[in-house]
Amino acid sequence: MSTFSGLNTALSALRYNRVAMDVASNNIANVGTDGYSRRRINGEAVGAPAQPAMWSRYVGAGDGVRVSSIDRMADALLDVRARREHGSQAYLDIRQAVLQRVESGIGEPGDAGVAAAIADFRSAWHDLANNPGSDAARSAVLGRAATLADAIRIQARNIETESGDQRFRVQADVAEVNTLASDLAATNKSIAVATLNGTDAGILLDKRDQLAMRLSELTGATATGRADGGFDVSINGVPLVVGNTAGTLEIASGITPTGGSDGSPITFTITDGSGTTVVPGGMTGDLGGVTDLLNTTLPAYTAGLDAIAEQLADEINAQHQAGFDAAGNPGQPLFSYTPGSAASSIAVALTAPGELAASGIPGGGLDASNATALATATGVEASYQRLINSFGAEVASVSRLAANQQVLTSQVDGSREQLSGVNLDEETVSMLAAQRAYEAAARVMTTLDSVFDTLINRTGLTR
Amino acid sequence: MAIQRVTQNMLSDRSVGALQNGLSRLAKLQEQLSTGRVLNRPSDSPTDTTSAMRIRSSIIDTRQFGRNANDGNGWLSQIDSALTNANSQVLRARDLALQGANEGGMGPAAREALAAEIDQIRGGLIDTANTNYLGRPVFGGVTAGAAAYDAAGVYIGTPGAVNRTISEGSSIRVDVDGQAAFGPTGSSVFDHLDALATALRAGDQAGISASIGALDAVRDRITTTQTEVGSRQIRVEAAIQAAQDNELRLSTSLSNVENADLPKVIVDLRMQETAYQASLAATARVMQPSLLDFLR
Repeated sequence: MSTFSGLNTALSALRYNRVAMDVASNNIANVGTDGYSRRRINGEAVGAPAQPAMWSRYVGAGDGVRVSSIDRMADALLDVRARREHGSQAYLDIRQAVLQRVESGIGEPGDAGVAAAIADFRSAWHDLANNPGSDAARSAVLGRAATLADAIRIQARNIETESGDQRFRVQADVAEVNTLASDLAATNKSIAVATLNGTDAGILLDKRDQLAMRLSELTGATATGRADGGFDVSINGVPLVVGNTAGTLEIASGITPTGGSDGSPITFTITDGSGTTVVPGGMTGDLGGVTDLLNTTLPAYTAGLDAIAEQLADEINAQHQAGFDAAGNPGQPLFSYTPGSAASSIAVALTAPGELAASGIPGGGLDASNATALATATGVEASYQRLINSFGAEVASVSRLAANQQVLTSQVDGSREQLSGVNLDEETVSMLAAQRAYEAAARVMTTLDSVFDTLINRTGLTR
Repeated sequence: MAIQRVTQNMLSDRSVGALQNGLSRLAKLQEQLSTGRVLNRPSDSPTDTTSAMRIRSSIIDTRQFGRNANDGNGWLSQIDSALTNANSQVLRARDLALQGANEGGMGPAAREALAAEIDQIRGGLIDTANTNYLGRPVFGGVTAGAAAYDAAGVYIGTPGAVNRTISEGSSIRVDVDGQAAFGPTGSSVFDHLDALATALRAGDQAGISASIGALDAVRDRITTTQTEVGSRQIRVEAAIQAAQDNELRLSTSLSNVENADLPKVIVDLRMQETAYQASLAATARVMQPSLLDFLR
């Protein structure tokens, strides 16, 4: 045991406590940083070597302290869970947002929706039946028919506009996924290098976690840890990032480069060094949500609306053609539409009030039996009510699911925050402790100094 | 959830989350209060939305049935007064015929005077038979013309029913076929009056008494028609009343489904407001203290 080893011990304490204060200071500095996991310093006592030398023994009382590690407080399992919940959350959130927007455009129940237009249309036929000779009553029927056709077309157009917006969103999301994937590949590489040369990779790991989280939010991707510290990411089982190489997510079908629809469902492929693989359906995350909306939910509503427009036009036209107009000629179809896109193309085909076939008998009399029949000719109202009912139920269910998922997500986020979040009180305490320990180590040094002073300068002096 | 470790971020996140929840509940209540409706979109309650749509459509229908019935009532009233008028004219013609049938002391001039009045009555009856409602002859069926009978008393209407739908699936005829009320062409009241005038001028007693019999039959016919019109009118008036009652009932149901229960919403709003203020106060207290406040 050497004379000055005590000084070294005190010096190690000074060093260690300065690092401890650095760690606390860094934690405090990053208290509000997104994705930062708090660090914890681990010290270890420096003492006897296991076997100092052959036939020797250690006689010291410990040689101070050193930093054994600076831990990054994160739990890989909790992170996996958080990524999964965030993926589901993003999926439900986007569905909820879009469906609520579409729903507010429906305007039911109210005085301005399709249901009100159907009832008004029926009412106008009754008025015409009461007054078959009146041009005013005939014009009113034409006006109400046009209002009804407009109301259906507006709904169809709202959905088409929303689909168009969402197709652009898919393109933007895909671009972001590819940027994130190449960032993650680069980060993986840096982490591998840092791990090899022993540098602290904490900041890189924080970045890696953030990138993986965002990828999960966008696509529901799953990340698995690599031996070198990086992450491999795959979307629905198809690898996107492997080590330091990133594949490219591409839209295989459904969306043209200009953001239009090509008529087929949206599918994705991932292209990497080994070729191109189709991503199976059922993605979650933002992209999964938008894809489901564009492939299933919105087309289903449009199809429902198309069926209603067709039913309305067919039933009214059939009855209208059974009657005779003011001049006594057989009635012509009242509504026209393009088969296949009835809701967006339905329009009133007649322009002259006299062409309305109110009469049930030829010859130009004032018979109004066909007008009365037309008032009750269509059962489209019930179909429309069913459509609105099922759509409303879907929106309500998505809203409920999103609210439930929100509770789950914030609970998982809370658990992560418990582990990884910075508590200022805690850091203040560690800082104080380190400060005091530093002061004490300095005092040890002063004491040793005075001991050496006594030994070196005063020993042998008798005065 | 057991909380092992609380961080400042966690506190602030939770506070913000709680404030957001409180605010969104407040916003929901505020929407209900300012629109006065609990049903603002289908997802608020899909089932109630369907009910509301049905009731709204029924209200429009009921209102329309009321309008139809009112229109029908106008027709039937017009017909009723026309028939009353026709009845009294025929009665007057019969009186004149009875005078003409009184053989003694009836010179040709007196009979000519009777015949001239009969002609006048006939003209008046043709006018009555051409009674209009809103420009349509009520005895003319579905004719597009303005008259049911021409000046010679010949039926020129188009036979056909004018119906009014007065409730779901039930309609009522609101016109009367001229030939049913005034007799078929060839033996209509106008033909009988014509024959009567001719018989009076000719002093043909047998013809006059035949005409009296015919006029009695005409009066029976008119009275029967009037009775039938009266019973139809009762139905139409009942339908008007039913439509009004239904509209009131349906509006009440719609209000029950769609509208907000104001006292309840206001009480809820006060409660949410209190809860929101409490969470604001809690946030303000929790966020402030820090160990640094207590260290020198």
